[in-house]
Amino acid sequence: MIKRASQAYLWLIYSFLYIPILVVMVYSFNNARFATDWRGFTWSWYGKLFANTQLMDAALNTLMVATLAATFASALGTLAALVLHRYRFPGRKVLHGSIFVLTVSPDIVMGIAMLMFFIAAKIELGFLTLLIAHITLCLPFVAVTVLARLAEFDENIIEAAKDLGATESRAFRHIILPMIMPAVAAGWLLSFTLSMDDVLISFFVTGPTFEILPLKIYSMVRLGVKPDINALSAVMFTLTVVLVLAAHALTRTRRK
Amino acid sequence: MKRMCMAPVVVLVMLLTFVMAPLHANAAEEKVLNLFSWSEYFPQAALDMFEKETGIKVVYTTYESNEAMFAKLKMLEGKGYDIVVPSTYFVALMREQGLLSKIDRSKITNFGNLDAKVLGGPFDPTNDYSIPYMWGSTGMMVNSKHVDPATITSWKDLMRPEFKGKVLLSSDLRDTIGIALKALGYSVNSRSEAEIKAAYEFLKELKPSVLVFNVESTKQAFIGEEVVIGMSWNGDAVIAMQENPDLKFIYPKEGLPLWLDSLSIPVGAEHKDNAHKFIDFTLRPDIAKMIVEEFLYSTPNTAGWQLLPDELKNNNAVSPTDKDLAGSEFTNSVGDAKAIYEKYWEMLKTN
Repeated sequence: MIKRASQAYLWLIYSFLYIPILVVMVYSFNNARFATDWRGFTWSWYGKLFANTQLMDAALNTLMVATLAATFASALGTLAALVLHRYRFPGRKVLHGSIFVLTVSPDIVMGIAMLMFFIAAKIELGFLTLLIAHITLCLPFVAVTVLARLAEFDENIIEAAKDLGATESRAFRHIILPMIMPAVAAGWLLSFTLSMDDVLISFFVTGPTFEILPLKIYSMVRLGVKPDINALSAVMFTLTVVLVLAAHALTRTRRK
Repeated sequence: MKRMCMAPVVVLVMLLTFVMAPLHANAAEEKVLNLFSWSEYFPQAALDMFEKETGIKVVYTTYESNEAMFAKLKMLEGKGYDIVVPSTYFVALMREQGLLSKIDRSKITNFGNLDAKVLGGPFDPTNDYSIPYMWGSTGMMVNSKHVDPATITSWKDLMRPEFKGKVLLSSDLRDTIGIALKALGYSVNSRSEAEIKAAYEFLKELKPSVLVFNVESTKQAFIGEEVVIGMSWNGDAVIAMQENPDLKFIYPKEGLPLWLDSLSIPVGAEHKDNAHKFIDFTLRPDIAKMIVEEFLYSTPNTAGWQLLPDELKNNNAVSPTDKDLAGSEFTNSVGDAKAIYEKYWEMLKTN
């Protein structure tokens, strides 16, 4: 009985998470511009989407920034976590604490602060400033995720490796990195998502020459969101599913 | 560990040089116009035409509110963008803050196409800093299947008991308090606490009838017949009426709140000549016609309006007559009274 109830609960949670996405995907085939009822099947929104070069450019820019930001943030965040966890130095506690502060600091403050910094540093607003801002935004999240993993880490393993003659860098590559890899991967995915849907920081730090998708969609409020956005959401969601499945398949074959 | 650190740094430096190069090339070329506006606020076909005719590439980035655009431009001291699209009183605000550049009328040869009705607003009496682009109104929409539209003439008709639970109001503070002020015979830009309070009382009495406060998806609610009567922007109304012919757009006799979006040039714009060319281009009758046909809001361009098909010319949601608009006003800045509006709006939403 309890088992059945818990299964039902699980289904409920998953429906709650996935039904809105499915609705968007179904509507991307609805042959009506604004109606909420079903008016027949059409591919036309997909045609419109791929013909809309501004929207496609923004989508590609977003994917590029998200991929780069997640990768840099993962590398830098992991290193930060390792330093904070493994070495003892003055100011460590302050640095450790300030990582957590960054994860909860409001985006609007970060956005304005970064814009002021870029203006003061005379860096032209655009792709580069956006990328730096997104790396900064994501970095603490990676560090926190990796730190949590490191906290459960048995230091004796590294001692053992060193006893057996491993240098610091070999121990890192063969022992530490494989063990924290799930946390780094989780940090990467988290960063990718954060970067993909950030509006507030992006608005302030991007320049007149670089447009990204969340800003474009967000600023459609004046005239209403058009159905080709449904099509775009469906494409992006499908892409995400394919990527996750591919990653899953890759890790499985490696384990075998 | 040290070697690990270096890789990202090297890539970053490479990216830096890779990214900075094209930016500088753009600045030297000068055949660029940095347009800052809401998403898809200009017909793509018109932008393509402008690029083809002038060789000036339009680079289009977006904002989601006047406030956001103002904040960013203020911090950048008016640099970076060549055209922005402030609404009514943001023109005044930006002008007062020295963020707008004076428009050289001698370069705007098509200025004469504009309708005197939308020129010389209190926010820019001489139109030295803003050229009207598009305007519209917040009127009333009803479903004729449920009520005879001829019997609906006043904002007060929203109160009728048969509409209980079937009314849609806007979630835009100034619009909704604005129609209440109008219903009571006051100005939409009233600064009097007593009048604003009276408007609040009106809305409080109406609130049990209200199904939803919404501004983003009003079309869907009317088309899907979730609501029978309510507030609607005129352009939204045209689209909704095409989808559901039972819907009718009504101009209440007390008048309604109007809005106007204008093209302005920020003070630090680097491509001011291009910006003037762009403004002049949008004032061409054929382009004005394209804009109306795409967005179905009202055009400030008399010559462009003449070119419209009769169907749009005779559609009073697109082409209101002077009688339709009797008593209507552009929503303007209310200065410090904004806090009073916010106070009563909070009270309305939380009670």
